[in-house]
Amino acid sequence: MEILVCIKQVGDEGETNRFDVHALEESLGLKDQLNAQLLESVSVDVVTVGPDKASKIIRRAFGLGADRGYHIVTEDPEYISSFITASRLAAVAKKRPYDLILTGIMSTDMMAGQTGPMLAKILGLPCATGVIKTSLPTNDNLIEIERELENGFRDCLTIQMPAVLTIQAGINTPRYPRLSKMLAASQKEIKIFKEADLFPEPIETNEIYIGLEQPEKTRSGQVLKGSLSDKAEQLFVWLKEKDLI
Amino acid sequence: MKQILVIAEIFAGQIRPITWELVAAAHKIKNSPSLKQLSPAIHIIVPANDPAPLSEKIAKQTGIDVIGLQIPELQTYTSEIYLCCLEQLMRGNPQISDSYQNVFLSKSKKTTCKALIKKINPSHILIAHSSQGQDFAPGLALGLKAAAISGVNGIRSDENGLIYSRPVFNNTQNLVVRPASNRPVVLTLMPGIFKLMLEKEGKPGRVDIRKSPFTPETCGKERVRHRETVRKTCENKALKKANIIVAAGRGIKEKEDLKSVFKFAQYFPTAAVGASRPLIDMGWLGYQHQVGMTGATVAPKLYIACGISGSSQHLAGIKDADFVVSINKNPQAPIFRHSDVCITADIVEFIKTFLNCSGDGHKDTANGANVATPTSRGTQLSPSRA
Repeated sequence: MEILVCIKQVGDEGETNRFDVHALEESLGLKDQLNAQLLESVSVDVVTVGPDKASKIIRRAFGLGADRGYHIVTEDPEYISSFITASRLAAVAKKRPYDLILTGIMSTDMMAGQTGPMLAKILGLPCATGVIKTSLPTNDNLIEIERELENGFRDCLTIQMPAVLTIQAGINTPRYPRLSKMLAASQKEIKIFKEADLFPEPIETNEIYIGLEQPEKTRSGQVLKGSLSDKAEQLFVWLKEKDLI
Repeated sequence: MKQILVIAEIFAGQIRPITWELVAAAHKIKNSPSLKQLSPAIHIIVPANDPAPLSEKIAKQTGIDVIGLQIPELQTYTSEIYLCCLEQLMRGNPQISDSYQNVFLSKSKKTTCKALIKKINPSHILIAHSSQGQDFAPGLALGLKAAAISGVNGIRSDENGLIYSRPVFNNTQNLVVRPASNRPVVLTLMPGIFKLMLEKEGKPGRVDIRKSPFTPETCGKERVRHRETVRKTCENKALKKANIIVAAGRGIKEKEDLKSVFKFAQYFPTAAVGASRPLIDMGWLGYQHQVGMTGATVAPKLYIACGISGSSQHLAGIKDADFVVSINKNPQAPIFRHSDVCITADIVEFIKTFLNCSGDGHKDTANGANVATPTSRGTQLSPSRA
């Protein structure tokens, strides 16, 4: 069985998007369980789209147990349509017969939650978003999962592989890198793809970036000033005024 | 003439209230400067096995024309069946649209018409930014070669037409985008932003029932099969009925420090303890404490957010609180924009100071087991799952 995990570098410190960390853990967990039962050999590959420095998160994934790493090197402007990201990922995902493709439910920077389902659509695969539980795939290529709904509800689904799953936080507790694997990871090759090689014609964007702005306030936002005890005092007075204590 | 289409959100055979918010946003789009002259029609699509009763209800409450999309044998939502039926219906291909057989309603002919629109060809498709909407909207957009903008929290116009904002960077900023020209756009709308006054006396909308040529059997039933919908066995009634909720977030660095949040809650006569999702995910508190879209949606008199940064999901769960007080170390925390009182402070230090100086001469006990104040009736609060 082959699993591909789509991961993204986010934040000032260049960490792996936390939902993708859960997606990687879930894949490595499946690999460990299937390998332990000697049922079949499982490989977990990772792919990322981003600038040169994004290779750091692939190295980290190697240190956690990922087998192969792919990096689509891009230098993008401030906004990238999810469709473009999904198209790039699809170009790599097509290169091997992946049974499962996992990614985070969204990235913490762009927060769109579109890449996974769009990737599925491009590849013509079934998809489930917000997955909070998986079980071991069956011999006839089915996987049982639970996806999170509102108010504590969950949909229990059986999905035919190959499939795309987007992973919700809380599904697992991610592992830490092992020193032995980290050392090996530094030797491993990351397969680099250049945007122009994959896409001779640029992918057309569906949305046009206008800008970033501060969100509007929805409440008055009275800021308490002074020392800690001044603030505590003011809160006490405010609560009294509102008849809350 | 292109249309603004709203896809009603149906869960367990019921209309989810976000549907009304989608209709409110559709009105906003229709009345925007760039579309006002054209006055595009709004239609609400209701996908269901038996869409007539729901469609009638929606048409009555909104005054908007409804297309009841009858999907035979549809038991429950799956992405495969929604994508298949909706994409085909909306492709703007009359031949395919015609294959959606028109069905007359014998009982309620007054509000039923033969075909509201010959050619379904949307300019805007509005979907809830919910677990269901987020599951099928991106694929639908791709299928229709449409722009896809998710989590929309603002709709306005500039000189080139409609523009949309959506939260980015952990909810600290909004990104403003527009669809590339001449493309339809699929929008998923954040709950709690748009408000609709339901029609009490107005003329009901018309209802057009179309039978889909596709059924779950012919639409990838074997690819995504729904087994059952379960609910986690837990009671969050305490949160739902609490007058005051004191809630903890990731600003609480050590599990040990949760105690001070519980002590703070005990200060109030009838308070319950809530938490944001990360603490639940880490197993520090049980699911019954979770506040937000995937936990409890609450409406207390007072919500005190202790070290909660304010994700969209969390904010949507507390928008109906009368007052929100936020305590957070980070002055840039998004929750401060959605609070009545903002306190920049270390949460543990602040609670300690507050309890010390407002205890009416009462001295805090060392172990925190008894913090009875003159107003406290000592509600039973203790951290679950040690």
